Amino acid sequence: MKKFITGNHAVAEAVRLCRPDVVAAYPITPQTPIYEQLADWDSAGELGGTMVKVESEHSAMATCLSASLTGVRTFTATSSQGLALMHEMLHFAAGSRTAVVMAVVNRSLAAPWAFWSDQTDSLSQRDTGWLQLYCEDNQEALDTTIQAFKIAEELMLPVMVMLEANFISHFMEPTEVPEPDQVDEWLLPVNIPRRFDLSNPGFMNGVVSAKQYRDFRRLASDAMEHALTVVERVDKEYESTFGRSYGLVETVDCADAELVLVTTATITSTARVALASLRSKGIKVGLCKLRLFRPFPVKALRDVLDNAPRVAVIERNISIGREGIFCSEIKSALINSPGRPKIQGYLAGIGGTDVNTQLIEWVVQDAITREVFVDQPIWVDDAVLEGEAQ
Amino acid sequence: MLEIKISGRGGQGVVVAASTLGLSFFNAGMFPQCYSVYGGERRGAPVVGFLRVDTQKVLLKCEIRRPNSLIYMDESLFDAREVRSILKDGDTVLINTTRPLEKLGELRGLKVGLIDAARVSESAGLGKIINTTVLGAYCRLVGQPDLKCLLDALTEAITVKSQANRDSAQWAYESVKITEVA
Repeated sequence: MKKFITGNHAVAEAVRLCRPDVVAAYPITPQTPIYEQLADWDSAGELGGTMVKVESEHSAMATCLSASLTGVRTFTATSSQGLALMHEMLHFAAGSRTAVVMAVVNRSLAAPWAFWSDQTDSLSQRDTGWLQLYCEDNQEALDTTIQAFKIAEELMLPVMVMLEANFISHFMEPTEVPEPDQVDEWLLPVNIPRRFDLSNPGFMNGVVSAKQYRDFRRLASDAMEHALTVVERVDKEYESTFGRSYGLVETVDCADAELVLVTTATITSTARVALASLRSKGIKVGLCKLRLFRPFPVKALRDVLDNAPRVAVIERNISIGREGIFCSEIKSALINSPGRPKIQGYLAGIGGTDVNTQLIEWVVQDAITREVFVDQPIWVDDAVLEGEAQ
Repeated sequence: MLEIKISGRGGQGVVVAASTLGLSFFNAGMFPQCYSVYGGERRGAPVVGFLRVDTQKVLLKCEIRRPNSLIYMDESLFDAREVRSILKDGDTVLINTTRPLEKLGELRGLKVGLIDAARVSESAGLGKIINTTVLGAYCRLVGQPDLKCLLDALTEAITVKSQANRDSAQWAYESVKITEVA
């Protein structure tokens, strides 16, 4: 059934359809509407599982990972500072090989205090051992949330699904919400090991030796490597039932492109409009949307970018002291590319500032005519667009 | 593509007006996209709602900088010179006002709708609630979505005083003064 809903509402719909046993979360703008919607359904007896009200995001993650160890389906959602507060428990959730699914509404980290879209919050959790998927619109946020439960429970690794503040969380769009029986058929009841037995309480995560620790890390790393296959397969299975799929990366017009623009999340959607306009002017530009960040789809990216003469990465996040985080990752993935593409990073939309078609077209024009590719990122803002300081 | 900006003040129901108008277009089979911007969460602070409406999926995920249709729920936010600098000839603007057209400033080339929403809402039993009333007037001014699609959206989205909201929207639809300013 098609509904006119926000991205937050779409994620809540997805979660209810997946029949979680335990939802533990703490409200934080702009994620709060997910929490509120699930709480409304819980109080109306329509959620099915147990909604646990906790005193912080740290406790929310501790609750979800513990519940997952009892063999049940778990979900939480957060943003920004809430995710930062969870950080320690994220390592526990992944290291304990739980199947927690979490929606992260990407929001700027303090200080200074702000509420708008910025991906640095989730990208800062890169090394926690969670899978990370970045969504382009409300529909993808809904579909990816449903996929995430299947992926997490098969791999026994936790999965983060990212939707951006405002542009997805609070934008209302027509969104196809699948029928419950369709989802029931596609996503079977949870069947993961029950490692905690409440009637026979025990302790886990005792101290291990250095070699044991290394071996645990190796196993988690192998599982992440395998995740590339699982994410791709689950996406195809989803398509065969629901008619929509997204891939690890998606390409548009890359075959003959002199420049490939790499994007993630909502910038991709606006870039599709810019790309169509540039192509109509005869500019040979392609678009490569990166959807999966952990594990990083090196092969899928190399298939697209190995022989691209020029690559421009435009992104809404920054590792201060270096550059945009996706750009660094893409540079490292292409280090052995025979074609040695030139790569230029652009920072746009930091803090939720506007990334419109005019800005994207400026980036493409700059990258396609640029004589020198610089190691530092280029900040693109209103001043650049108005032809001022560069 | 229709790009609508709704200006009002905190407490006037701008956010609900934007989402309900979006739902009306959705019911009409269109592809709306809707968002709101509110800074200070207090009564009286300016609040802005935005909609894009197209016949296919809206891909733009950026701000609406140059709307082609404006709604002023609060007359104190209306400025004729600003409106004329944003809109092009033939674009539409709806103003909730008690003043006549000639007192509103230079609006040549625009299609202007005037509605005394407070009066309509009062007689429908809605008191000072004017957001759904303004939507009725807007449907008539722009010619879409169908009044029926708006009334269905009101039934779906407004659960308190639902019938009074529908009545008020319908009366505003019937009584809005529309002028193509020559």
